[in-house]
Amino acid sequence: MGGIPLSEISHTEKLPLLRNCGRCVETIMSSKMQSSNNTAHARRTVQQLRIEASIERIKVSKASADLMHYCGEHAKYDPLLMGIPASENPFKDKKPCTIL
Amino acid sequence: MGEMEELRKEADNLKDQITEARKVVQDTTLQEAVAGTTLVGRVQLKTRKTLRGHLAKIYAMHWGTDTNCSKLCVSASQDGKLIVWDTLTTNKVNAIPLKSSWVMTCAYAPSGNMVACGGLDNMCSIYNLKGKDGNVKVMRELAAHTGYLSCCRFLNDSEIITSSGDCTCILWDIETGTEKTIFAGHLGDCMSLAVSPDFKMFISGACDFTAKLWDIREATCRQTFSGHESDINAIGFFPNGNAVITGSDDATCKLYDLRADQELITYQDSGIMCGVTSLAASLSGRLLLAGYDDFNVNIWDMLKAERVGVLAGHDNRVSCIGVSSDGMACCTGSWDSFLKIWN
Repeated sequence: MGGIPLSEISHTEKLPLLRNCGRCVETIMSSKMQSSNNTAHARRTVQQLRIEASIERIKVSKASADLMHYCGEHAKYDPLLMGIPASENPFKDKKPCTIL
Repeated sequence: MGEMEELRKEADNLKDQITEARKVVQDTTLQEAVAGTTLVGRVQLKTRKTLRGHLAKIYAMHWGTDTNCSKLCVSASQDGKLIVWDTLTTNKVNAIPLKSSWVMTCAYAPSGNMVACGGLDNMCSIYNLKGKDGNVKVMRELAAHTGYLSCCRFLNDSEIITSSGDCTCILWDIETGTEKTIFAGHLGDCMSLAVSPDFKMFISGACDFTAKLWDIREATCRQTFSGHESDINAIGFFPNGNAVITGSDDATCKLYDLRADQELITYQDSGIMCGVTSLAASLSGRLLLAGYDDFNVNIWDMLKAERVGVLAGHDNRVSCIGVSSDGMACCTGSWDSFLKIWN
């Protein structure tokens, strides 16, 4: 079994040369094949942005209210939040009783 | 190149449109909205079980969801084993030797019938736990990714989604072992994925610092969320499926609302300077449990964005975390080779 230990792989080393830094994509190379790849990539980027721009958005006030409401409604059923009584905790080791 | 210039201008315009549209609906912030909400009281969880048996770093764990296995979980270690644990008894239900020990992810099928794993072998291996003769065997080896397998999640017994260092995610047909859909768009290694509670969407976090929401059947990327300043290592859904939580090497977690299409809040503290490796939400969504490189798990009040607890108990990085489907317990896995069950 070969391979580099994960701790030694830098994720950022894997980023391809084409980086979208918030603006349109461009490469340094200038061969014809590269520039038609560029155009195809740029067209796909624009297509994707059109999809993302067209969605309907709700107000943050409504989004926040819905999250708060969900938390409130489900709090009593959340064992990690409410705590679990020892007698109902299947993970708690039951200590043996000693009769004095 | 006239066309490139036009496309670049159009892309810039669209990005500005998105930024504007997000601002338009920002009539308040989550922080303002929860100003009147009381902070959750201090959360103190205790280690109830320690699962011992792996001989090397644990990279991943996943709880079973079926009612028959809500107390079972699977873990993957670079000792080359997948272990299925009964967390109540700490017994090993299965110890599955792997062909490749460089495993980075594992998953439990919702039915409880299969587990999957993968890593530097670039493949996702599916194991049938319920074989006729009782032996656990490789059922399929899903090979097509050209980079490491960072995460995998079953939709059902015949479909699984994988994320890869090759910057794509793939929806597979397990039966035929072939790719149904390739989800391309990320510009950096995909590190993590999570499936929505209704199984219609999934989200991916990547080394391009963004999270993407994908429609599984339409095979499209619906939304992209930015804001992180480094690789996103961990991602999950808020329990109602309307929001997404991310954890990053930039030492923060973020909450993005899908319907408002924007970041609602950041979970950060000046005292925390190391990366987030893993995260999980409690059943109600009120608590966010996040594992960090500094060996701890921080527990956050998800609404108030304040720390309300710490799980300290591992002697090395916490690499994975999960909350059981009934919300009764949290499991952490670490590079110290142990898994711990807390509640």
